[in-house]
Formats: sequence, structure tokens, C-alpha cells
Amino acid sequence: MNFSRRRLLQGSAAFAGALALPRLAAAQDVLKIGQVNASPAAEIGWSKQHALGIEAIKAALGDKVQVTVVDNTFLPQDAERVFRDLASQGHRLIFGTSFSLGQPMQKVAPQFPDVAWEHCSGIVHLDNLGTFEAKYYEGMYIAGIAAGHMTKTGKLGFVGGFPIPDIVGPGNAFLLGARTVNPDITCSVVFLNSWFDPGKEKEAAQALMAQGADVILGMTDTGVCVQAAQEAGVYAVGYASDLTSFGPDSQLTSVVLDWSSEYVGAAQKVLDGSWTSESRWDGLAEGVVTLAPFNAAIPEDVRAKLDAAVEGVKSGEIQPYAGEIKDNQGNVVVAAGEVLPGDAVRGINWLAEGMIGTLG
Amino acid sequence: MDLATAIFVGTIAAATPMLLAALGELVVEKSGVLNLGLEGMMLIGAAVAFWLAISGWGLPLAFVGGALAGMLASGLFALLALVFLANQYATGLALAIFGTGLSAMIGMGFGSQPVATLKPLAIPLLGDIPLLGPLLFRFDIVVYLTLAMVPAVWWWLTRSKSGLILRTIGESPENAHAIGYPVRRIRLAAILFGGAMAGLGGAYLSVAYVGIWVENMTAGRGWIALSLVVFAAWRPWRALAGAVLFGGFTILQLHGQILGLPLPSEALSALPYLATIVALVLISQKRRRGMEVPASLARPFRPGA
Repeated sequence: MNFSRRRLLQGSAAFAGALALPRLAAAQDVLKIGQVNASPAAEIGWSKQHALGIEAIKAALGDKVQVTVVDNTFLPQDAERVFRDLASQGHRLIFGTSFSLGQPMQKVAPQFPDVAWEHCSGIVHLDNLGTFEAKYYEGMYIAGIAAGHMTKTGKLGFVGGFPIPDIVGPGNAFLLGARTVNPDITCSVVFLNSWFDPGKEKEAAQALMAQGADVILGMTDTGVCVQAAQEAGVYAVGYASDLTSFGPDSQLTSVVLDWSSEYVGAAQKVLDGSWTSESRWDGLAEGVVTLAPFNAAIPEDVRAKLDAAVEGVKSGEIQPYAGEIKDNQGNVVVAAGEVLPGDAVRGINWLAEGMIGTLG
Repeated sequence: MDLATAIFVGTIAAATPMLLAALGELVVEKSGVLNLGLEGMMLIGAAVAFWLAISGWGLPLAFVGGALAGMLASGLFALLALVFLANQYATGLALAIFGTGLSAMIGMGFGSQPVATLKPLAIPLLGDIPLLGPLLFRFDIVVYLTLAMVPAVWWWLTRSKSGLILRTIGESPENAHAIGYPVRRIRLAAILFGGAMAGLGGAYLSVAYVGIWVENMTAGRGWIALSLVVFAAWRPWRALAGAVLFGGFTILQLHGQILGLPLPSEALSALPYLATIVALVLISQKRRRGMEVPASLARPFRPGA
């Protein structure tokens, strides 16, 4: 077939025309929603859970909404352009799903005051820029109790992407949970300094197991730790998605993020005209943090304890960061009788007593 | 398995994908062609091998498929670099970027489940020897084949007639052409060999080592393999040493973190690179001749000119 320039132009013009017709007709009553992701679309992990949020909006609101998703927007300068494009094209609710998208969002949001902006894991909050984040540590605390019951060596392993508060805090909670079972349990920490290097992640998991760790928690964006534990016949805890397919026998549970209430809630409020910018931080009680079904190998009495702990955290009776807590240098970081306040939890820059590693 | 054995076994396994790709590139560069697209070819090999493995074709066919896919990708490079005499730096970089994108497309939908990885060979008597048994006989077959490639490539390059011809072409394609050797055909063969080895390296990573597909999963190993060739001064044994050095420091720093070494993880993560640079400096001080670089490297050859 001979593609002349003219033909191509004719074709695209017709195509654009066809696309524009229904949109013009619908533009009045349909809410256009945009979502910008830093990473590529994936079948599991962080991006997948945000894709499920968009699915939830479609399921709940059907043809009242129209959604545009832009993946792979890692560079800040790209992100700024993408956000501006989405806002100019009439999107009235725009989600950014990565911490790294914060600066471009803070820059573009004030230029489009009529648009509702929602930033996941963001910390800066403007008049029309809301933030939402999950209390990962609540789920990790429960997973830690399960690990504490199931470990034989008393050594846990933690593989984290980077030494940042969002990773360090949940890692601490994991050990704090395990230590409610046995205060002598320790947890070795490895930071990969990368989100996507499955080869290195596997090496880290194997190194942890070689040094005696028999429950591995991987807070990266892959199923490698769960799969490595399956191969070695030890246990693992998953993160972000249910990773059972990577280790049907190894996964004790997984701290699954369910953003659907955040997504549907925001869209519903924008439709109602009741949206205001909020800073939301939700956990087990709100259903944003959930736990994948417990491994069949966990005994019945332990399950009952885990279920009770879940209820305790939901009601606020159990506070994972209740003192006294020491860091791994021996300093008291939470005094006895006190509970670490939310801001301090989100900014944790210490490893709890029993964590073997450094934050650098 | 004691700690020293664990570190040794981890090191050799970590070195294998880089060594495979580096040995291939070494032969390519000895023929006077520079193919910077290793990362792309490795990724294509990894994606195709994972595709075959997860579709139930079995690991041997997955490896063959990965090698063929890498070869096919290098064929594209050969077409541009040998026939159209395109700039080899630009073509290689384009191949690296193209391979990253293509592999992501091939791998779409593979991220939700693992494949069973390659098991270590169970060698009945030898594996039971105390100390040496676990040290020498704990690997899967691909590791042994890769290690065997080192003396094979060395012997072929330095001791065989065809290896001599290849090196001649790398030094002076004009002379080789004048004597009557088919310069471009031999370079094509070298490029395809390099592609197959890079594809194998990627396949090893996705189906034998990790058993999971993740977009961009080589995470820079192609670029490291490329620098290993220079590090090795185009000698196969040194490529082995470089790969083991790099892999060894990667594994050591992980164990160091787990033992709680009071050093920032960022500094420990940089160790393999630092160690490689230090080794490079030490080697280059002993070497004055500078004869190792193939004289016609990255220079297009036009038979008529």
C-alpha cells in the first residue's frame, strides 16, 4: 500500500473528526478523569493496584465518567507537560500515583484551579491538590505477628527498594509485630537502591536465606521474594498485590493496597460538586490496607490471634507504634505510654531495635 | 550451606548472564565491529525465552528461542552497520532502545506468574565430596556451559585458523579483503554470534535465574557486559575474572548489609562499580603496549573503496 502524505493527512483528519463527534455531544455531562503513572503498566504491584482504582471508578460510575491513563511518565519535565495537557483537554479530576510526580503536580495545579488534583503518597497539600496515602504499617504489623509465629530460626529478612520512610516505617512495624510473639526475633535489612532489578532482588533474598532468615518480606514491586522463598521452602510476605501465584506455599499473607474507595470517593465528590482537597491517610479500618488470605500452614489458633489483632488495629485498641520503642542504636524513640504521632510515623528515619542494618 | 559457599555460588550465578553477553561482544569487537546494543538484545532474549517457557515449551527450547531472538535482533544491526554502513555507535544505541521497547511489548501480560527455574545438576558422586562437592557441583547446566565457553572462545581466537582470520579482519579489513577473505560475511557471522550470546544471557536471567518477567529486567547488565569487554582488554579469561569480580562484590555487599556493616547501603551498592574501576586502574598501569584494541573497531568497511 502506498502511503502518501496527503492520504495520511486525509486519514487522520477523518479519524479525528470521528473521534470528536461523540465527545462534543457528551462533553457537557461526562466527567473526564485522568491518571498519570510514573511506572509502566504491570500485572502486579503498585501500578496494578492503581489501575484497579480506575477500574473501580468505571464499575461504579459507568458512562458518567471517561478516563484517560498515561503510563511511563517518570521524568518530571514529561510529567509537567502531561498534567498540563490533561487539564487543558478538559479533565476535571486528575490523579498522580507516584511520590515523584509531586513537584510537577504542585506546579501545574495552581494554574488550573477548576481541576481537582489527587496525589497518592504526596505530602504537599494545596487548595485544589489533595493527597491520599495508606497506612502500610498496620498491615505489616499483622504480617509480622504471623511471621513471628511461623519463624523457626527467629530471623526475619526484609528487602526494601530504598531507605525512605515509606519503606523503613512498614519494615519496623513488621518486626514490632513479630516481637509481640517473641522479643528475641531479629530482622536483617537489605536495601537494593532500585525498584526494578529482579536479579538483584533474588540475590538479596537468597543471601538473607543463606544467613538463616526464614520469613522474607519484599517491599519492592515484584513477586521475586515470594517466589525465591517458595523455591527454598521458607515463608514470605507480599506487598501491594496478592502474590499467591508466585508462591502458593510460601506466602503467609500479603499487605494488599485497595485504593478503590479513594478513587470512587473522589470521582463521586467531583460529580456532586462537593470535592475539597483533603489529606487522607487510611488503613485497615477504611479497607485501603487489606490482607491477602492467610496461608493454610498457619495453625488455627494463630489465625484467631491474627484476626483479633486486625480487629484491635481497626478499633485503635492496638497501636503498632506504642512505646516503649527503641531504635537499633539503643535510643528511646517512643517513650513508654506514648504513641508515635502520625507525622512522625510518616517521617520515620530510624530502624527499630532488632533490625540489623543501616539507613546511611 | 555455609556462608562462604553461599557467597561463592551466588557470585558465579550473578556473573553468568554478564559473562555470556561479554564473551559474545568480545568476538564481535575482535572482528572490528562495535555493537552497543547488548542491553536491547539481552532484553529481547529474556522476553522471548520467558514467553516460550510460560507457554509450556520447556526450558531447553526457551534457551534456543532466546538465542535465536537475540540473533535476529543483531541481524538488524548487521544489516544497518554492514550493508548500509551506518554509524555503529548510533546503530547500537538505537538497538538498545528498540530492544527495551520491543521486549516490553513481547512481555505484556507475563508479569502475573513465575516459571519454574533451572535446577542445579545433581551430580551423584562428585556432589557429595566434602567441601569441594557443594563448591564445584552446585550449579545448573548453563553455568557450566558458560564457563566452558571461556576456554573455547580463547582457544578459537588465539589458536585456530578461523580465529586468526577474524582477528586479521578486526585489525585491517582492507588487507584481509585484499588477500581474499569475505570481510562482511565473517563480520556478519561474528555479529550473529554476539547476538545469540546476548540473547542467551537474557534468557538465563529471565527463565533460569529469576523465573519472573519484569519489564526492563536486565537493569543495566548489558552495559556492564559491554564495559567488561574493555576491562578484559579483549581477552576471554579476563572477561571471566571481571564478571566474577563484579558479581562477587554485588553478592558481598548484600551479605554485608545483612550482617549489619555500619556503612550506608548506597555506598555498598556502589561497591561493585568502584571495585571494577580500581581493578581497571591497576591493570592499565601494568600495561603499556595498548595493542589490545582491534585497530578497525567501529570503522565501517566498504569493499569497493
